[in-house]
Amino acid sequence: MDLLAVAWPYWHQFFFIIFATIAIGFGFGVLLSKNVVRMAFYLVLSLGSTAGLFFLAGAEFVGAMQLMIYVGGTLVLLIFGVMLTAQKDFINMDTHTQDWILATIVGGSLLMVLLFGAFGAEDWRTPQDINDAHVSATKEATPLGLALTGIRVDTLGESTDAVADGKSGYLMPFIIVSFHLLVVLIGAAYMARTKKLSHATDDKSSRAKLMLFKMEHEEEPLEEAKYVVTHKGKSALNPLDPNDEN
Amino acid sequence: MESTTDFYNLIDALKADSANSLGLFMPEITLCVFIALFLAVRLVTTKLDLFWVALAGALVGLISSNPLQLCEGSVESEELFTGLLVHDGLTIAIRSILMLFLVLFLIFTKISGVPDKEDGADVYSLVFGSTLGMCLMASANHLLIVFLAIEMAGVPSYVLAGLIKGRKRGSESALKYAIYGAGAAGVMLYGISLLVGLSGTAHLPTMALELAQIIPQAGLGEQAVLCLAAVMISVGIAFKLSAVPFHFWAPDVFHGACAEVNAFLSVASKAAALALLLRLAVGLGSVPLSEIEAPQAIQQTVEAHQETVQTDLLPTHLVSLEDEAVSGSDEDIEVQSSEPVEAEAVADTESPTTEAEVVEAVDPRLEIKQGHDEALSPVRNFIGLLVAFFAVITATFGNLAAYGQKNIKRLLAYSTIAHAGYMMMAVTPLMMMLGTDNNGAEQAASALIQYIVVYVFLNLGAFAIIAFLRNYVGSEEIEDYSGMVKSRPVLVICLALIFFSLVGLPPLSGFLGKFAIFASLADGYSTAGSSALLVLLIAGGLNTAISLFYYLGVIKTMVMGEPDESHHLGDRPVGRIEMAYVLVVSIPTVFLIVCWQWVAGFADEAVKHFIS
Repeated sequence: MDLLAVAWPYWHQFFFIIFATIAIGFGFGVLLSKNVVRMAFYLVLSLGSTAGLFFLAGAEFVGAMQLMIYVGGTLVLLIFGVMLTAQKDFINMDTHTQDWILATIVGGSLLMVLLFGAFGAEDWRTPQDINDAHVSATKEATPLGLALTGIRVDTLGESTDAVADGKSGYLMPFIIVSFHLLVVLIGAAYMARTKKLSHATDDKSSRAKLMLFKMEHEEEPLEEAKYVVTHKGKSALNPLDPNDEN
Repeated sequence: MESTTDFYNLIDALKADSANSLGLFMPEITLCVFIALFLAVRLVTTKLDLFWVALAGALVGLISSNPLQLCEGSVESEELFTGLLVHDGLTIAIRSILMLFLVLFLIFTKISGVPDKEDGADVYSLVFGSTLGMCLMASANHLLIVFLAIEMAGVPSYVLAGLIKGRKRGSESALKYAIYGAGAAGVMLYGISLLVGLSGTAHLPTMALELAQIIPQAGLGEQAVLCLAAVMISVGIAFKLSAVPFHFWAPDVFHGACAEVNAFLSVASKAAALALLLRLAVGLGSVPLSEIEAPQAIQQTVEAHQETVQTDLLPTHLVSLEDEAVSGSDEDIEVQSSEPVEAEAVADTESPTTEAEVVEAVDPRLEIKQGHDEALSPVRNFIGLLVAFFAVITATFGNLAAYGQKNIKRLLAYSTIAHAGYMMMAVTPLMMMLGTDNNGAEQAASALIQYIVVYVFLNLGAFAIIAFLRNYVGSEEIEDYSGMVKSRPVLVICLALIFFSLVGLPPLSGFLGKFAIFASLADGYSTAGSSALLVLLIAGGLNTAISLFYYLGVIKTMVMGEPDESHHLGDRPVGRIEMAYVLVVSIPTVFLIVCWQWVAGFADEAVKHFIS
């Protein structure tokens, strides 16, 4: 690597430009493409090269997470989902012109504000004289892993207590988030499960449901009628007949 | 060699800290255990109605959050889990309010019949999971937890919005809520990352300390970044509070979801979001005294540990400390400030004579704190004005938009928005008085807690009545409520009382809550003299007057309107259980004035060590 650095001191910039171009280019690809499956694939490439940018910045843990979570997990699921559900009518997405204009105004102004913010702070600008300096990444995965178990080894090196004070171990969120994920899984399963209308077990629940569907029916008669027919349970809890209570 | 012992010290400190924290984390642990239990019970039997398990869980949670602790005496502020959470009066108060609400809410769902037995396990898990997030919101002391808690409270409620499946409107509202929620969370996360990037920490007290050093010498760029970060974080909180202009979701979700879920969203979610707003505002606006004296929880326990080991070294140790404390100049705040703690901690375990000497060493901390708080006054002003801006437009827009509503749930959604505005008003005087008049600031925070207590019963009662009426009448349109007082007098009278209370007419509870907030606004205006507070006071008064009419409109329809026979399906009389529940929930509306002293005392104790 040293050899490379000597031979061509600009390899860091070179890779930065490559990754940034891929990330931005395929980002635009997601925007401009009309085919849902292509969009998903462009997103894979865009997020993958963002992981490359993280590696370049010396944040190998974040980069690895980006690859594992977004590219490896979420997007593969997304693509499967898109491939399984994208039928004739839904495979192409057309965006109206007025939506484009509105989105450009809102997104553009947000981008302007964020860029202004990102370059605002003096500390965040790249010092000009660092360009030729040798950049070496520190190993950060071990301290990060220890921090997730609640031990902040980096507090040991801190000179003052006040700075060490701000460094909390992440044991509690690490564990509590698993309960969050459990609850979210339960929620996802609940949403995905088909439920027969006739299954309301006691009188009160069936009455409540009856009334809820009756209100829906009054607002949109056609939809409701279609919904009732699709269920097997004969006339059970037919919203069209509010006096039927079982 | 040295580093190895340091490492083991860290582990020991973590053990001690976790053991201590878990004891104060019981309500949350209870919720976690019962979430797991809902799943486990269904493995064994499908016959058992999980409502009873859920009710038991909520009761255990209420008992373990121990609200009576506040009546016995004030609770010291204490950091949990290496500074991620903070446990103080506010934590206890909000947690108790949430748990009490959970108990009442579960009974309400049982009576109204949504969810049914089959869905019970899933829905109760979601409700408990969401409440867990809200408890964390109330005790967050770290921006990571702020974000995590908002998501934990939010994501299960997206599912709850679509609780009744197969209803187009319900599914639509769930999807809208989820998408808006994800957007708001993303913006908030960006704001958090800006703030953390600038201050180098996400731990709120440390962040305040860092900001106190950054702000006096901040250039225009840094100031802009700070403002941008504050605005972006406020987007996330405004979404949770359904504050204008991030309120779009509220009417649609409230209209689409069933009344049971609306009660949960409008009460619990709002109470937790307000607590979080308090935490962030006070956390960023002032450096707590404990931060100047006591560093990290771990460090403290390490010291305590070391002290017990090396008691023989104490005398010389102490002398050197005092020397440093006296000779230390203001510049080396960090180094110096950590010393007195050690000295104090030592003094506690040692003889009382040393304690008297240490008291002199404590004084510099107050001076340092004052210096920091002065440096942070732009932060307080900015937060105060930002919240004032949100509060005024939220209250005004909410009340004006409520006029055109024909659906009672939509009307209450706008009413909820307006009330979020009133409640946010308390934060501005808090910010304006913080640092100069801490008693006044405490009063403002206390007023907010009092309003939350009142509001829990009001909105729960209103939505309970709407749900019960829906079960009988099958409608949530206001015109269908016409002449209802003849067929269902008890429900209508209770709803009328609740509406009068929401307006803020004396002697109902809503008046007391509103009065507390307006009083703190007036107090703030007379001490801080900020014209923003006067604007808030005027806006609050005008809004109260405006809101009278649409609430009265509903009551007028119910009482004076002619019953339309075609709409009254099934003339079953109101069940006794429903009637009893509504009466129980309405009692505080009328009788809170009798024991108002107690509520005010509860709120005062809750915020006592919150502002230090």
